[in-house]
Amino acid sequence: MKRVLPVLVLSVAGLIPVWRYTPAAPGPSVAQPAPTPSVSTAPGGTTRVVAGPTVDTEKGPVRVEVTLEGDRITAVRMLQQPDHPQTTAAVPVLIEETLQAQSAGVDTVSGATVTSDGYRESLQAALDAQGS
Amino acid sequence: MRRVEHVMGFPVSLRVDDEGSWESAADALFAWLREVDARFSPFREDSEVSRLDRGEPAPDRISPELAEVLALSERYRADTGGAFDVRLPGRGLDPCAVVKGWSVQKGADLLRAAGARRFCLNAGGDVTAAGGPWRVGVRHPEDAGRLCAVVELTDGAVATSARYERGDHIIDGRTGRPATGLLALTVTAPTLTEADTVATAAFALGRDGVDWAAARPGCEVFAVTADRRVLRTAGFPVAESGQAAA
Repeated sequence: MKRVLPVLVLSVAGLIPVWRYTPAAPGPSVAQPAPTPSVSTAPGGTTRVVAGPTVDTEKGPVRVEVTLEGDRITAVRMLQQPDHPQTTAAVPVLIEETLQAQSAGVDTVSGATVTSDGYRESLQAALDAQGS
Repeated sequence: MRRVEHVMGFPVSLRVDDEGSWESAADALFAWLREVDARFSPFREDSEVSRLDRGEPAPDRISPELAEVLALSERYRADTGGAFDVRLPGRGLDPCAVVKGWSVQKGADLLRAAGARRFCLNAGGDVTAAGGPWRVGVRHPEDAGRLCAVVELTDGAVATSARYERGDHIIDGRTGRPATGLLALTVTAPTLTEADTVATAAFALGRDGVDWAAARPGCEVFAVTADRRVLRTAGFPVAESGQAAA
């Protein structure tokens, strides 16, 4: 039972890209191991709402409520969230891709081209030279 | 018409595709950027910013433009929980990260007021453009000669913050240490004021900054994390030939 709840909370946190647990960091400490309904032994086909314990994260205390259909999570709601910049607005889901290198025809280049040396070697300098 | 000048320590490339003569409009744009450098550079002892930092003018006697820059700075500081800060402890007032995007956007507004409809203004890798489509390449963080994405921009701005040219120069104001969670982060927004400052502020936040910038209305994000993963918003305006395989 004590193992199940942190795992549940961690998987919920994984669903919502708001909190990031660094792999090296120790697992969240359970501040309030309050008695909650069992998750692993529940019969299938029933809807239950489970409130997790308050977990102290590096950003502040987090408490989630999970709705289960049988053993599937169907909804997650934040009961308590830290007062932190990332949590003040809904976060769009991010698309993850591999880093690519390309050299397509462009009009201009965005990049941290801040020094004159950097500019001389940049694609933007080549584009400027081309047009003049 | 094309022109390149070095102002504020970086190259500024202007291209206007409308018919007619745009030399005087370009003169006015570059004169404004030189004025901004003289007034707001923390590297010039006689600038308004340096004088304010020394306590010379009373804070209620600063110019409306500097007041605007400081108000913007404060808004982003509060929005990032202090990660973005133009007044880092032990350092002088340095509003460069806000001044750049803000002043270049004002320069673009001057061009628009002079009648330009199709132009592209690139200030040290931060771009504001009108009357597109414009194809804006995003520099590959590990190869200056390659791109890692191509953005299609009609009317709007693109800004990139990265470690590859000046090293670890963006400080996370929450820790006072360089921000190292990302290799590069590119933001598109309606104005360069927003795009540039959000890019810098998000970079200061590190990996968390990707979500933070993505949640800002009007902003789309393309980030390369320190472990070389790309994270982007679904609405990031990737140009057709720059699209990654689905």
